[in-house]
Order: sequence, then C-alpha cells, then structure tokens
Amino acid sequence: MMIDLAVWLILLPLIWASLAFMAGPGRGARLAIPALGLQLLLVLLLAGTVSESGAIGLAVGGWGAPLGIDLAADGLSVAMLLLTQVIALPLAIYARSYFQVKAPEGRYFWPLCGFLLAGLNGLYLSADLFNLYVTLELVGLAAVALVAADGGSRQLVAALRYLFATLLGSGSYLLAVALIYAAYGTVSMATLAPVITAEAPFVVWLAGGLMLVGLMIKTALFPFHFWLPPAHGGASAPVSALLSALVVKASFYLLLRLWLGPFAGLTASAGLLGWLPATLGALAIFWGSCQAIRAQRIKMLIAYSTVAQLGYLFLIFPLLTSEAALRAGIMQAFAHGLAKAAMFMAAGVLIKATGQDRVDSLAGAAQQLPLTMFAFGLAGVTLTGLPPSAGFLAKWLLIEAAIGQGAWSIAVVVLVGGLLAAGYVFRVLRQGFLLVPAIAADAPSFHPVPRTLEWMALLLAAASALLGLRGVELMELVALGGAA
Amino acid sequence: MKRLVVIPAALFFVLVLILALVDLAPPAFDLRPLVAENLASSGVAHPVTAVLLNYRAYDTLLEIGVLLLALMAILAVSGSPRTTSNTSLSASDPLLAMLGRIAAPVMVVVAVYLLWAGTSRPGGAFQAGAVLAALAVLLHLTGLLAGWQQPGVRLRWGLAGGFLLFLSVGALLLLVEGELLRYPPAHAGVLILLIESGLTLSLGLILAGLFLFLSHDQGGPR
Repeated sequence: MMIDLAVWLILLPLIWASLAFMAGPGRGARLAIPALGLQLLLVLLLAGTVSESGAIGLAVGGWGAPLGIDLAADGLSVAMLLLTQVIALPLAIYARSYFQVKAPEGRYFWPLCGFLLAGLNGLYLSADLFNLYVTLELVGLAAVALVAADGGSRQLVAALRYLFATLLGSGSYLLAVALIYAAYGTVSMATLAPVITAEAPFVVWLAGGLMLVGLMIKTALFPFHFWLPPAHGGASAPVSALLSALVVKASFYLLLRLWLGPFAGLTASAGLLGWLPATLGALAIFWGSCQAIRAQRIKMLIAYSTVAQLGYLFLIFPLLTSEAALRAGIMQAFAHGLAKAAMFMAAGVLIKATGQDRVDSLAGAAQQLPLTMFAFGLAGVTLTGLPPSAGFLAKWLLIEAAIGQGAWSIAVVVLVGGLLAAGYVFRVLRQGFLLVPAIAADAPSFHPVPRTLEWMALLLAAASALLGLRGVELMELVALGGAA
Repeated sequence: MKRLVVIPAALFFVLVLILALVDLAPPAFDLRPLVAENLASSGVAHPVTAVLLNYRAYDTLLEIGVLLLALMAILAVSGSPRTTSNTSLSASDPLLAMLGRIAAPVMVVVAVYLLWAGTSRPGGAFQAGAVLAALAVLLHLTGLLAGWQQPGVRLRWGLAGGFLLFLSVGALLLLVEGELLRYPPAHAGVLILLIESGLTLSLGLILAGLFLFLSHDQGGPR
C-alpha cells in the first residue's frame, strides 16, 4: 500500500488537471490547492517509507521490465519529488490570488499546471527511457503553453523559441532512445545498465552524446540558454516561478540519472567527459551573472540569474566519483528552486504594485512593501550563498568536494560566482531601499496587492534561507539507495 | 552564410549516424517472443494493441495527455472568446455539400469498424479517432460545420472525457489489483474496449479541435 503513494503522485495531478479543464477557463484553484496539499503529504510519507526500507520499484500493469514499464523511487527521486511538491503548494496559493485580479492570462493556468506537475512527478519516478521521453514532452509542452498563455506578441515569440528549443532537446533525446533500442532491444534503465557497461558499440556513444546535448538544451546550459531569459522573464510571475524553479531541474535530474545509471560505465571510462558540462557551467555562471547585473527589467535580471545558477548544477559532473558532489548538486537544486520561486513571486508583487517592471522604478519599495523586499532579500542571501542558507550549504559541499579531488578551479568558480550574484542582488535591494520623499511629484504610486502574495513569497524565501539548518536530513535522503 | 555551416554539419551528422548503424549487431534482447507469450492474457489478439493498451498502457495514457495538452495550448494562445456568432454558415456549393453528407455516415461506420478491428488486426482508437477528426474537417471544409469557438461545457467533457475514463480505469485497477493498469486477464478485453471507445470519441474531438479551433472563418468555401 505504501508503494502506491508514488503512483498517486502522478495520478492526482492528472485527475485535478482534467477536472479543472472540464470545469472551464479560470477554474480549478479550489480543487488544485487541497490536492496539492495531499500530494505534499504523500511525498512526505513516501520519503518516510524510502528512508525506512530503501529504494522501491514497481511494475506498472504487473508485467515488469523489459515487457512493461517500471517505476522506481530512490533517495534522489524522492528528493526531487519533495522539492516539486514543496514549491508547488505555496505557488498555487500565490497563483490563485494573482490570477483573481488579472484573469485572462490565467484562463488555462490550472489544467496546464496540473499536467506540468504530473509530468515532473512522472519523470522523477520513471525507470524507462521511452517513458521518460513521454514525461519530458508533457513537461515541455505544458511549460511552453504556460509561457504562451499570456497572449502578447512578444510573449508568443518567446514561447515559440522555447518550443523549438525544447523540441530540439527532446527530439535528440528520442533519437538517442531509438538508437539504444536498436542496439540492445530494451529501454528499461535497470536492464540496460549492465549491458552498456559490458559492451558499448559506437552507436551507444552517439546516443549518449545526443542525450547529453538534448538535455543541456532543455536545461538551458550556456550556450544553449538563448531561449530561457525571454521565456522566463516574460511570462506571468507564477509561471516564471514554476519554470525557473522546477522545469529546468527536471532535465538536469534526467541527465544526472543517466550519467550515474545506464551510462555509468561510459562516463567512468571517459574521465574527462565531465569537464565539458562543468566548463559550460562555469561560463554560464559568468555570462548569466554579467547579463543579470546589466539587465534593465527586474524579471530579466532574475531570469539571467537562473542561467547563472544552473551553471552550478553542472560543476558537479567531474566530481561525481564522490557522493559529496551529488549531495552538493541536489542541495543547489533545492536552494535555487526555493529561492528563485520566491524571487519571481516577489517580483510579481513588485510589478503588480508599481505597474512597471524596471529595476530603476523600485525606489520606495522597502517602505511600501517591506515583506516583499524582505522575501527578495532572503532569496538573494540564498543565491549569493551566505550562511545559514541552503545556497551556502550547497556551495560549501561543492567546494569541499572540489578541494577533496584537487579541482581547485571549480572552487574558485564557486567563490567568484557568489560575488557576482551579490552584484545583481544588491542592485535590486539598493533601489528598493532608496527613500523617496513623499512630496516628490514623480514619486511612484503603489497599488495595493493581496497580502497572500507577499506571504507566500516570504514563506518560500524563508524556507530557502533556513534549509541550511536542516540540510542533514535531506542529504541522508539523497544518499539512500544511490542511483539505480 | 549560416547555410554554409548548417548544411555540412547536418550532412556530417547523417554520415556519422549511417556509419554507426551500418555495423550494428543484432540486439541483446528480443521482446517479440515475450509479447507473443503473454498475448493470451492481454485481452486482445493483436500484438500492437497489446503493447499500446496493456504492456505499455501507461505510456499511451500519458501520450493522450500530451494530445489533450496540445489542444489546451492552442486554446490558451487563441485569446479571449471571439464575439462573432457562429450561427451563420455561408451556403456552399450544393454538390460539395451533398458529397459531404454522403461521406459522413460512411466515415462513421469506418471509424467504428477500425475501433472494433483493433482487437485482432491493425486498427484501434488512434486510427478510428483520426477518421472521425477527418470527418469533422471535411464537414467544415464543405461548409456544413462551423469553425469552433472557445469550447462549451459539453465539448470540454467530450475532449477530456476519454482521457479521464482511461485514468479512472487505471486508478481503479490500482485500488483493486494493487498495480496501476494491471488488468485481470478475464476482464482485460472488455476494459480495453471500453477505454478504446472513450478514446476514439475524445481523440476524434481533440484532433478535429486542432484544426477547427484554429479555423477563423465560419465555415463555407473561401
């Protein structure tokens, strides 16, 4: 019975998404929020089960691999599931009051969001290469639709570019799956791992390369980040938060899963291969941070910060021979997910209140919206990696792993990246804390915004800042069962 | 200039792909005997249908979700409901309209046949749904069916109904049999036919919707 929990994490969002679609445009929040609460409860129970009795696997339809499709939940999957549900619930509460005021963008938010979350949960639970492709498509299409739903022409251009990038990514992943099926006659990860390690013809290297490139495109790793800033920066705030915090993590997880799972034999035999994603990750940190420091619009600043923060995730690849690097990567995924969701949510409040989205127009925000500025600041603390935040813990673990293996260059990149992050975070904070004389003629006027929006942003920001104190439990969870 | 880079790169990739596939050894696993062995307990007699709706039914479930999602994406993008009324169908060529009327019942019969045939030979919900969708497009192009606006409640139920039915059967089997989409062999045939019937209708509407929701004219020849 406890094992079924995992399956319900996929079924529940599909059910409430379909019902929300049937109920009609703009409806479904009242169904989605309790369901998301239930999902959070399920994932906590699942985490309990996995930490007690180790990784679990189940065979959909009762057939079992290689004939049927297997699902599996180990520590890594459960950690990602936990991150997804922990962010989704406050985000849904935020989205409900966000879209109440400004309806047309949110007409199909609930069904699309449900399919997106089902896709994510399905992806984290799947142990079958082709099934993973289907979940990738669910996530990708739902994300593109959410970006496009705004309707503006600039938004459509961004969504179309995102669609092409994500299709190119999943297309090359699918080609790779076809090649692997041609070579071995199975797509089950557990069945593949030993045979790939035993014998890998050239075509499997080609498939591995295609998967690597395809998933790097989907994760927006530099220089494939071109689609991310307009898509994430232009969408409405709840959508930006969902995309930046969760969607890009899914393809990173899949890359990590493949790297450590079926392709472990190949990646171990080509020791230098890990430096390719790591080098691109380092470039992403510098390029993304510099663009964020120069950005004029606040959401573009945050979107470029996502480009930079995703870079850290890829720094772990050369270090993956030690468990510590994996822990650092997951901690960074948590830190960035929580902080970036909070930051986009805070930015949504600021944009709603000031009616514009320029960084320069934020003067006086700290007086008018202290909660929101506090949330933004806390999220910034995490991104720059100050203690005791989760970001600090992630960077600490990463530097420790890097120095342990003599990879000093990675440690230096992490330290410089933190300084650069401080550069763009403090640009916003400095503007926000500028005092505006009340009598000035051009003083910006602040519209009232629902308090729920501010509190939800603060909740996630506080979680990101305080997670560092409770990181041990999370790290124990990740270590469980290892990578299948 | 861009072409000078892209074309050689694409050619090089194709060449590498061909070279990689030329000296490919036969795969280590062969699933065909496994598919055939379990066919008796799968509830259908055709191996493709058995793979799609039994062995890998979970993939199919999610793929129906992808199709529904694509339709939602179109609805979400196509903006606020248009105010133009869809009651005025412009008169079309009488001969064309008559041919459309003759084709319609035949196509419905073909769709039902394809659905039924899926249990024992090539066919099934996807093919039957595609025929129904083609019928809707045909009727639209001959001026007998107006382009669709934002869907009303009945159309929304029709669009998502097949997916929800599939999902409910899967969830019910999870509760009863302890595994998602694990059909009891005795009832597998009936359940698969039930799922396929729902899917035929919904897939027909979804595929038709991909065309009709984007068709901005009110029907009739242009």
